[in-house]
Amino acid sequence: MPTTVGTEAQNADARGGSATGSVEPVLVAEGLVRSFGSLRAVDGVSLRILPGETFGLLGPNGAGKTTVISMIAGLLQPDEGTVTVAGVPMGRSSVEAKGHIGLVPQDLAIYPELSARDNLQFFGKLQGMHGRPLRDRVAEVLDLVGLGDRAKEQSKKFSGGMKRRLNIGIGLLHQPDLLILDEPTVGVDPQSRNAILESVEALSGEGMAVLYTTHYMEEAERLCDRILILDSGQAQAEGTRDELIELTGDADRVHLSGSGDLAAAEGAVAGIPAVASVHRDPHALDLTVRGAPTAIALIVNAATGAGMKLSNVEIRRPDLESVFLHLTGKALRD
Amino acid sequence: MGRVLTMVLSDLKQRVRDFSVLVFAVLVPLALMFVMNLVLSGVADEGLQPITVAVSVPDGDELAAVVPHVLGEASLGELRVTVRDADPEEVRGFVDDGTAGLGVVVPADFTAALTSGTGPEVEIIRGDDSGIAGSVVTAIVDGTLAQLTAGTRAAVAAQGLGVPPEQLGALAQAVATEAPQVTWTEGRTASEQLGMGESIVAGQSGMFLLFTVGFGVLALVTERGQGTLGRLLSMPMKPELIVLAKGIVSFVLGILATTVLLVAGATFFEDVDFGSPVAVAALVVLVVAATTSIMFVIAKVARTAEQAGIAQAIVAVSLGMSGGAFFPVANTGWVGQLLSVNPVKAFTNGLGITAGGGGVGDLGPTALTMAVFTVACLALARVLPERKDVL
Repeated sequence: MPTTVGTEAQNADARGGSATGSVEPVLVAEGLVRSFGSLRAVDGVSLRILPGETFGLLGPNGAGKTTVISMIAGLLQPDEGTVTVAGVPMGRSSVEAKGHIGLVPQDLAIYPELSARDNLQFFGKLQGMHGRPLRDRVAEVLDLVGLGDRAKEQSKKFSGGMKRRLNIGIGLLHQPDLLILDEPTVGVDPQSRNAILESVEALSGEGMAVLYTTHYMEEAERLCDRILILDSGQAQAEGTRDELIELTGDADRVHLSGSGDLAAAEGAVAGIPAVASVHRDPHALDLTVRGAPTAIALIVNAATGAGMKLSNVEIRRPDLESVFLHLTGKALRD
Repeated sequence: MGRVLTMVLSDLKQRVRDFSVLVFAVLVPLALMFVMNLVLSGVADEGLQPITVAVSVPDGDELAAVVPHVLGEASLGELRVTVRDADPEEVRGFVDDGTAGLGVVVPADFTAALTSGTGPEVEIIRGDDSGIAGSVVTAIVDGTLAQLTAGTRAAVAAQGLGVPPEQLGALAQAVATEAPQVTWTEGRTASEQLGMGESIVAGQSGMFLLFTVGFGVLALVTERGQGTLGRLLSMPMKPELIVLAKGIVSFVLGILATTVLLVAGATFFEDVDFGSPVAVAALVVLVVAATTSIMFVIAKVARTAEQAGIAQAIVAVSLGMSGGAFFPVANTGWVGQLLSVNPVKAFTNGLGITAGGGGVGDLGPTALTMAVFTVACLALARVLPERKDVL
């Protein structure tokens, strides 16, 4: 069972909603299970998202994030479990439920031969939009994603960042109750990435619920009201950033870079009582440490005494990376 | 249906913009038709060369005289037969020196041998270059002799039954001369009715159709790879509508491309005429449906666009070749029967029927073949499991 800290009702409170449950979740996913052959890609994942909430699904590559959102978007049928969007059960043929979601796939799901405007109009028509409302909304979204001046250009001529922004624009065109973003910043330059993150921040301000999957810890910290940490298809923990960090016992994160006998150093530092967990990379040790400022001298001595030649030592306040390390014993980037 | 129309129009717009359909569905096959027509036109003419037949018949033998008479009347369509009277000893020489493509020596006492039932021996000498025309003339002589034999035996039998002797000669003569020795029935025997030019146009149109229809249905595989299929499946509509839209795109492109190729072939090539436009249109609809159904099978089994492209090429070339895209393929024997299940072959057979004057009502077996093929492929595509998930 995942560690759950806080509730969506408490979070609704935090955003000015009702604590008595009068705010109905946009998304309710219960006990999702999906296997591919012998691989259990998703194993009993549950989550709820409220209107206006940005919910993060954080996990390394292969954790099962895309499989979870595929089931939520009705692209995959769960082996077990149920999905309800705006109170309507979701399935592969659930026309009504799909009308409440906007999906932004990880792949650039746009037609390269069509212009930005034609792409938006095409998907807008499939969403049931027509005539002037569609044209007005297309123009609005083009401006929102910064493509107003390139609207007539074939999208195959766009840069990667522009394609990403168009990809997102298609997802939010029909102003869905739930926008699902699957790693929308993968392969994007820093400038475009920042523009995308700002766009997502603006969406929750408009009352749209957002399900955001990422393996970038800093994106989850910046955008998400609540976060579910996923690893090997299983939910490890769920809560706000602060709630999740509390799981580490407020332990700091100590990063030792260097060379030499890191295996011996790992064993040596693990024996120190203040050290909660150790993860070894080829050129570094990542530790979660309670009271790092006082224990750091002991840790450095133990590591160097075991044969590690240190090149750098960092003490960081606990973050989601620390939480992931604490919960799984491995780094988020693994 | 609004969403289906939206998807169909969008796909057609994309195909027009990337020029791929224009190139692979129209320009390439047209170019290939021109090249093949140039290369193979000589081969086509060779089989239809006029032929001279040197014939020797005994003087005064009325039944033997039937042979040159029949050959003199045998010219029909592209077959041109010239009969040259010769002495028995001259016939072989004419054939050897090429003066005649074929020689026929009817022995003395031919009629007497026939009536007595002893069986006269007629010598047929074929020249090396007599070609298809030589075979046809040999068949005519053979048929004529069979007819004469039957007529004579009928006369002998009639004599035994008491028919007056003065009527027996007339009876034998009537059987030999009035009944046709070789029956020419145009528009009934499929590919034999297509000339070389028609065969090239029909076969190439059929083969390249298998590439053209891929632009619709196989886009399912391409879009699965690029992510747009996942997005389409997340739209508020039944997933079946996406498949339907792709099928319609294939169908529309197939109809347009095949129509253009057949019309262009009939316009630009000599002696290409496929007959009734209504019957040809019916054939085009049927073959486009059949070839589109194959694409649904490929879309189901291919994991990637590359795999789909390779499978499509293999299917197109295999069915195209066996369907007569590069050379005419006979319908005879069990191999011919097996090949006739091929929609490209059925299409060329059907065009053979229409080219020979057949109408929609004459397309029964051909239409049935393509309809059954279509249903079988769609059923197969339905029951085959997905090779890959959407995402």
